[in-house]
Amino acid sequence: MKRLLLRLYPARWRERYGDELLALVDEAGFGPRAALDMARGGMRERVHALRRAIVQGGAEMVIGPAWRHPTGWALVAALVLAPTLLLVGMSYLTYELGLSGLAAMMEPVNDAINRVRPLDLLLVAAPLIALLVALVPLLRLELRRGAEEGTTEAVVGLRLRAANLLVGLAALAVGGLLLGHIVVESVLQIGP
Amino acid sequence: MASNPAGSNDPGLLLMISLAGGPKHGHAMLLDVKRFAGVQLGPGTLYGALSRLEEAGVVEALPAEGRRRPYRLTASGRGLLARRLEALRDAVQTGIERVGA
Repeated sequence: MKRLLLRLYPARWRERYGDELLALVDEAGFGPRAALDMARGGMRERVHALRRAIVQGGAEMVIGPAWRHPTGWALVAALVLAPTLLLVGMSYLTYELGLSGLAAMMEPVNDAINRVRPLDLLLVAAPLIALLVALVPLLRLELRRGAEEGTTEAVVGLRLRAANLLVGLAALAVGGLLLGHIVVESVLQIGP
Repeated sequence: MASNPAGSNDPGLLLMISLAGGPKHGHAMLLDVKRFAGVQLGPGTLYGALSRLEEAGVVEALPAEGRRRPYRLTASGRGLLARRLEALRDAVQTGIERVGA
Protein backbone atom coordinates (compact mmCIF):
# COMPACT_ATOMS: atom_id res chain seq x y z
CA MET A 1 0.00 0.00 0.00
CA LYS A 2 2.81 2.40 0.94
CA ARG A 3 4.64 1.65 -2.31
CA LEU A 4 1.42 2.06 -4.25
CA LEU A 5 0.87 5.50 -2.72
CA LEU A 6 4.47 6.40 -3.53
CA ARG A 7 3.61 5.86 -7.21
CA LEU A 8 1.43 8.98 -6.94
CA TYR A 9 4.61 11.08 -6.71
CA PRO A 10 6.53 12.21 -9.82
CA ALA A 11 9.30 9.77 -10.82
CA ARG A 12 12.11 12.25 -10.17
CA TRP A 13 10.76 13.06 -6.72
CA ARG A 14 10.43 9.34 -5.92
CA GLU A 15 14.05 8.70 -6.93
CA ARG A 16 15.27 11.44 -4.62
CA TYR A 17 13.00 11.14 -1.58
CA GLY A 18 11.08 7.86 -2.00
CA ASP A 19 13.27 5.63 0.17
CA GLU A 20 13.48 8.24 2.93
CA LEU A 21 9.72 8.75 2.91
CA LEU A 22 9.13 4.99 3.21
CA ALA A 23 11.70 4.78 6.01
CA LEU A 24 9.87 7.57 7.85
CA VAL A 25 6.52 5.82 7.42
CA ASP A 26 8.05 2.58 8.73
CA GLU A 27 9.35 4.39 11.81
CA ALA A 28 6.38 6.66 12.51
CA GLY A 29 3.69 4.09 11.71
CA PHE A 30 1.33 3.74 8.78
CA GLY A 31 -2.42 4.25 9.13
CA PRO A 32 -5.31 5.87 7.28
CA ARG A 33 -4.13 9.35 8.26
CA ALA A 34 -0.60 8.77 6.95
CA ALA A 35 -2.03 7.18 3.78
CA LEU A 36 -4.24 10.21 3.14
CA ASP A 37 -1.33 12.55 3.80
CA MET A 38 0.87 10.61 1.35
CA ALA A 39 -1.85 10.72 -1.30
CA ARG A 40 -2.32 14.46 -0.82
CA GLY A 41 1.46 14.95 -0.90
CA GLY A 42 1.73 13.01 -4.16
CA MET A 43 -0.89 15.18 -5.84
CA ARG A 44 0.78 18.31 -4.51
CA GLU A 45 4.17 17.24 -5.88
CA ARG A 46 2.67 16.45 -9.29
CA VAL A 47 1.06 19.89 -9.45
CA HIS A 48 4.30 21.50 -8.27
CA ALA A 49 6.39 19.66 -10.88
CA LEU A 50 3.95 20.56 -13.65
CA ARG A 51 3.83 24.22 -12.61
CA ARG A 52 7.61 24.37 -12.43
CA ALA A 53 7.96 22.77 -15.85
CA ILE A 54 5.46 25.11 -17.51
CA VAL A 55 5.95 28.41 -15.70
CA GLN A 56 9.62 28.46 -14.80
CA GLY A 57 10.94 26.18 -17.50
CA GLY A 58 13.77 23.79 -16.95
CA ALA A 59 12.22 20.84 -15.17
CA GLU A 60 11.74 17.70 -17.22
CA MET A 61 8.44 15.95 -17.03
CA VAL A 62 6.75 13.15 -18.91
CA ILE A 63 2.97 12.95 -19.17
CA GLY A 64 2.03 9.54 -20.48
CA PRO A 65 -0.61 8.03 -18.22
CA ALA A 66 -0.71 4.74 -20.12
CA TRP A 67 2.81 4.60 -21.57
CA ARG A 68 3.62 1.61 -19.42
CA HIS A 69 1.94 -1.72 -20.12
CA PRO A 70 0.55 -0.84 -23.59
CA THR A 71 -0.39 -4.49 -24.21
CA GLY A 72 -2.47 -4.52 -21.03
CA TRP A 73 -4.32 -1.43 -22.20
CA ALA A 74 -4.88 -3.05 -25.62
CA LEU A 75 -6.37 -6.09 -23.85
CA VAL A 76 -8.70 -3.89 -21.78
CA ALA A 77 -9.77 -2.08 -24.97
CA ALA A 78 -10.45 -5.43 -26.65
CA LEU A 79 -12.59 -6.51 -23.69
CA VAL A 80 -14.55 -3.24 -23.82
CA LEU A 81 -15.10 -3.65 -27.55
CA ALA A 82 -15.90 -7.37 -27.51
CA PRO A 83 -19.67 -7.26 -26.72
CA THR A 84 -20.35 -4.62 -29.39
CA LEU A 85 -18.15 -6.43 -31.89
CA LEU A 86 -20.00 -9.66 -31.19
CA LEU A 87 -23.40 -7.99 -31.52
CA VAL A 88 -22.51 -6.20 -34.76
CA GLY A 89 -21.01 -9.38 -36.22
CA MET A 90 -24.00 -11.49 -35.29
CA SER A 91 -26.42 -8.84 -36.60
CA TYR A 92 -24.54 -8.69 -39.89
CA LEU A 93 -24.64 -12.48 -40.28
CA THR A 94 -28.33 -12.62 -39.34
CA TYR A 95 -29.84 -9.67 -41.13
CA GLU A 96 -27.43 -8.88 -43.97
CA LEU A 97 -26.33 -12.38 -44.96
CA GLY A 98 -29.68 -13.89 -44.02
CA LEU A 99 -28.45 -16.74 -41.83
CA SER A 100 -31.92 -17.46 -40.49
CA GLY A 101 -30.64 -19.95 -37.94
CA LEU A 102 -29.19 -17.09 -35.93
CA ALA A 103 -32.36 -15.00 -35.91
CA ALA A 104 -33.88 -16.95 -33.02
CA MET A 105 -30.75 -16.27 -31.01
CA MET A 106 -30.62 -12.57 -31.89
CA GLU A 107 -34.23 -11.69 -31.13
CA PRO A 108 -34.08 -12.00 -27.31
CA VAL A 109 -30.76 -10.13 -27.34
CA ASN A 110 -32.25 -7.29 -29.38
CA ASP A 111 -35.31 -7.22 -27.11
CA ALA A 112 -33.12 -6.92 -24.04
CA ILE A 113 -31.10 -4.10 -25.60
CA ASN A 114 -34.27 -2.23 -26.58
CA ARG A 115 -35.72 -2.66 -23.09
CA VAL A 116 -32.66 -1.60 -21.11
CA ARG A 117 -31.69 1.79 -22.52
CA PRO A 118 -28.34 2.19 -20.66
CA LEU A 119 -27.21 -1.13 -22.16
CA ASP A 120 -27.94 0.22 -25.63
CA LEU A 121 -25.96 3.38 -24.89
CA LEU A 122 -23.06 1.40 -23.45
CA LEU A 123 -22.86 -0.82 -26.51
CA VAL A 124 -22.88 2.23 -28.80
CA ALA A 125 -20.27 4.08 -26.71
CA ALA A 126 -17.98 1.04 -26.34
CA PRO A 127 -16.11 1.49 -29.66
CA LEU A 128 -15.20 5.10 -28.79
CA ILE A 129 -14.08 4.09 -25.28
CA ALA A 130 -12.10 1.16 -26.70
CA LEU A 131 -10.48 3.43 -29.29
CA LEU A 132 -9.27 5.83 -26.59
CA VAL A 133 -8.07 3.04 -24.27
CA ALA A 134 -6.18 1.36 -27.12
CA LEU A 135 -4.52 4.49 -28.51
CA VAL A 136 -3.68 6.52 -25.38
CA PRO A 137 -0.66 4.25 -24.59
CA LEU A 138 0.83 5.26 -27.94
CA LEU A 139 1.08 8.91 -26.96
CA ARG A 140 3.07 10.85 -24.42
CA LEU A 141 3.97 14.47 -23.83
CA GLU A 142 7.48 15.39 -22.70
CA LEU A 143 8.28 18.75 -21.20
CA ARG A 144 12.01 19.40 -21.47
CA ARG A 145 14.48 22.11 -20.62
CA GLY A 146 14.49 24.56 -23.54
CA ALA A 147 17.64 25.72 -25.33
CA GLU A 148 17.13 29.22 -23.91
CA GLU A 149 17.28 29.85 -20.18
CA GLY A 150 13.88 29.59 -18.50
CA THR A 151 12.08 28.04 -21.45
CA THR A 152 10.38 24.68 -21.79
CA GLU A 153 9.98 22.59 -24.92
CA ALA A 154 6.99 20.32 -25.36
CA VAL A 155 7.64 17.17 -27.38
CA VAL A 156 4.82 14.86 -28.37
CA GLY A 157 5.97 11.24 -28.51
CA LEU A 158 4.16 8.74 -30.74
CA ARG A 159 4.91 5.04 -31.06
CA LEU A 160 3.29 2.32 -33.10
CA ARG A 161 2.37 -1.00 -31.52
CA ALA A 162 0.58 -3.67 -33.50
CA ALA A 163 -1.76 -4.86 -30.72
CA ASN A 164 -2.97 -1.35 -29.89
CA LEU A 165 -3.35 -0.35 -33.52
CA LEU A 166 -5.26 -3.52 -34.33
CA VAL A 167 -7.75 -3.01 -31.49
CA GLY A 168 -7.97 0.71 -32.37
CA LEU A 169 -8.76 -0.08 -36.01
CA ALA A 170 -11.32 -2.70 -34.98
CA ALA A 171 -12.96 -0.12 -32.70
CA LEU A 172 -13.01 2.41 -35.55
CA ALA A 173 -14.54 -0.13 -37.93
CA VAL A 174 -17.22 -1.26 -35.46
CA GLY A 175 -17.95 2.34 -34.43
CA GLY A 176 -18.20 3.38 -38.08
CA LEU A 177 -20.56 0.51 -38.89
CA LEU A 178 -22.76 1.33 -35.90
CA LEU A 179 -22.82 5.03 -36.71
CA GLY A 180 -23.67 4.29 -40.34
CA HIS A 181 -26.45 1.97 -39.22
CA ILE A 182 -27.87 4.57 -36.83
CA VAL A 183 -27.74 7.34 -39.46
CA VAL A 184 -29.37 5.19 -42.13
CA GLU A 185 -32.10 3.73 -39.92
CA SER A 186 -32.87 6.51 -37.46
CA VAL A 187 -31.98 9.77 -39.20
CA LEU A 188 -32.64 9.02 -42.87
CA GLN A 189 -35.27 6.40 -41.92
CA ILE A 190 -34.22 4.10 -44.75
CA GLY A 191 -34.51 0.37 -44.46
CA PRO A 192 -36.95 -2.25 -43.27
CA MET B 1 -6.07 25.63 17.83
CA ALA B 2 -4.76 26.43 21.29
CA SER B 3 -2.43 23.43 21.19
CA ASN B 4 -0.96 24.64 17.94
CA PRO B 5 0.64 27.99 18.74
CA ALA B 6 3.34 27.76 16.07
CA GLY B 7 0.81 27.36 13.26
CA SER B 8 0.31 24.08 11.43
CA ASN B 9 -0.22 25.82 8.10
CA ASP B 10 3.49 26.40 7.58
CA PRO B 11 5.31 23.08 7.89
CA GLY B 12 8.36 24.63 6.21
CA LEU B 13 8.79 27.09 9.07
CA LEU B 14 8.35 24.33 11.65
CA LEU B 15 11.02 22.22 9.94
CA MET B 16 13.42 25.18 9.81
CA ILE B 17 12.91 25.76 13.53
CA SER B 18 13.53 22.08 14.18
CA LEU B 19 16.73 22.03 12.12
CA ALA B 20 17.96 25.21 13.80
CA GLY B 21 18.58 22.93 16.79
CA GLY B 22 20.91 20.67 14.79
CA PRO B 23 20.80 18.17 11.91
CA LYS B 24 17.95 15.65 11.98
CA HIS B 25 16.41 12.96 9.81
CA GLY B 26 12.72 12.78 8.97
CA HIS B 27 11.47 10.92 12.01
CA ALA B 28 13.52 13.05 14.43
CA MET B 29 12.04 16.20 12.84
CA LEU B 30 8.55 14.75 13.16
CA LEU B 31 9.02 14.08 16.88
CA ASP B 32 10.71 17.44 17.49
CA VAL B 33 7.93 19.43 15.77
CA LYS B 34 5.34 17.48 17.76
CA ARG B 35 7.22 18.31 20.97
CA PHE B 36 7.78 22.05 20.52
CA ALA B 37 4.69 22.98 18.45
CA GLY B 38 2.15 20.27 19.24
CA VAL B 39 1.77 19.66 15.50
CA GLN B 40 1.65 16.13 14.08
CA LEU B 41 3.04 16.46 10.56
CA GLY B 42 2.12 13.70 8.11
CA PRO B 43 4.93 11.97 6.18
CA GLY B 44 3.83 13.45 2.84
CA THR B 45 3.54 16.93 4.31
CA LEU B 46 6.96 16.68 5.96
CA TYR B 47 8.80 15.47 2.87
CA GLY B 48 6.88 17.88 0.62
CA ALA B 49 8.02 20.80 2.75
CA LEU B 50 11.54 19.40 3.08
CA SER B 51 11.94 19.00 -0.69
CA ARG B 52 10.78 22.58 -1.19
CA LEU B 53 13.29 23.83 1.43
CA GLU B 54 16.11 21.87 -0.22
CA GLU B 55 15.14 23.19 -3.64
CA ALA B 56 15.34 26.73 -2.25
CA GLY B 57 18.76 26.10 -0.68
CA VAL B 58 17.39 26.59 2.82
CA VAL B 59 18.36 23.10 3.97
CA GLU B 60 20.89 20.59 2.69
CA ALA B 61 21.10 16.84 2.85
CA LEU B 62 23.92 15.10 4.71
CA PRO B 63 25.24 11.63 3.81
CA ALA B 64 22.61 8.91 4.27
CA GLU B 65 22.67 6.74 7.39
CA GLY B 66 21.08 3.53 6.16
CA ARG B 67 17.62 4.38 4.89
CA ARG B 68 17.59 7.65 6.81
CA ARG B 69 19.15 10.88 5.62
CA PRO B 70 19.78 13.77 8.00
CA TYR B 71 19.31 17.37 6.92
CA ARG B 72 20.75 20.60 8.23
CA LEU B 73 19.94 24.26 7.92
CA THR B 74 22.28 26.13 5.55
CA ALA B 75 23.78 29.50 6.45
CA SER B 76 21.31 31.29 4.19
CA GLY B 77 18.52 29.17 5.69
CA ARG B 78 19.51 30.28 9.16
CA GLY B 79 19.40 33.93 8.03
CA LEU B 80 16.01 33.44 6.41
CA LEU B 81 14.64 31.77 9.55
CA ALA B 82 15.90 34.64 11.70
CA ARG B 83 14.19 37.19 9.45
CA ARG B 84 10.93 35.23 9.40
CA LEU B 85 10.93 34.85 13.18
CA GLU B 86 11.64 38.58 13.57
CA ALA B 87 8.66 39.37 11.35
CA LEU B 88 6.53 36.90 13.30
CA ARG B 89 7.65 38.41 16.59
CA ASP B 90 6.55 41.86 15.40
CA ALA B 91 3.19 40.45 14.33
CA VAL B 92 2.76 38.55 17.59
CA GLN B 93 3.76 41.64 19.64
CA THR B 94 1.25 43.78 17.76
CA GLY B 95 -1.44 41.14 18.29
CA ILE B 96 -0.72 40.90 22.01
CA GLU B 97 -0.91 44.68 22.39
CA ARG B 98 -4.18 44.86 20.48
CA VAL B 99 -5.94 42.13 22.46
CA GLY B 100 -4.55 43.58 25.68
CA ALA B 101 -3.09 40.27 26.80
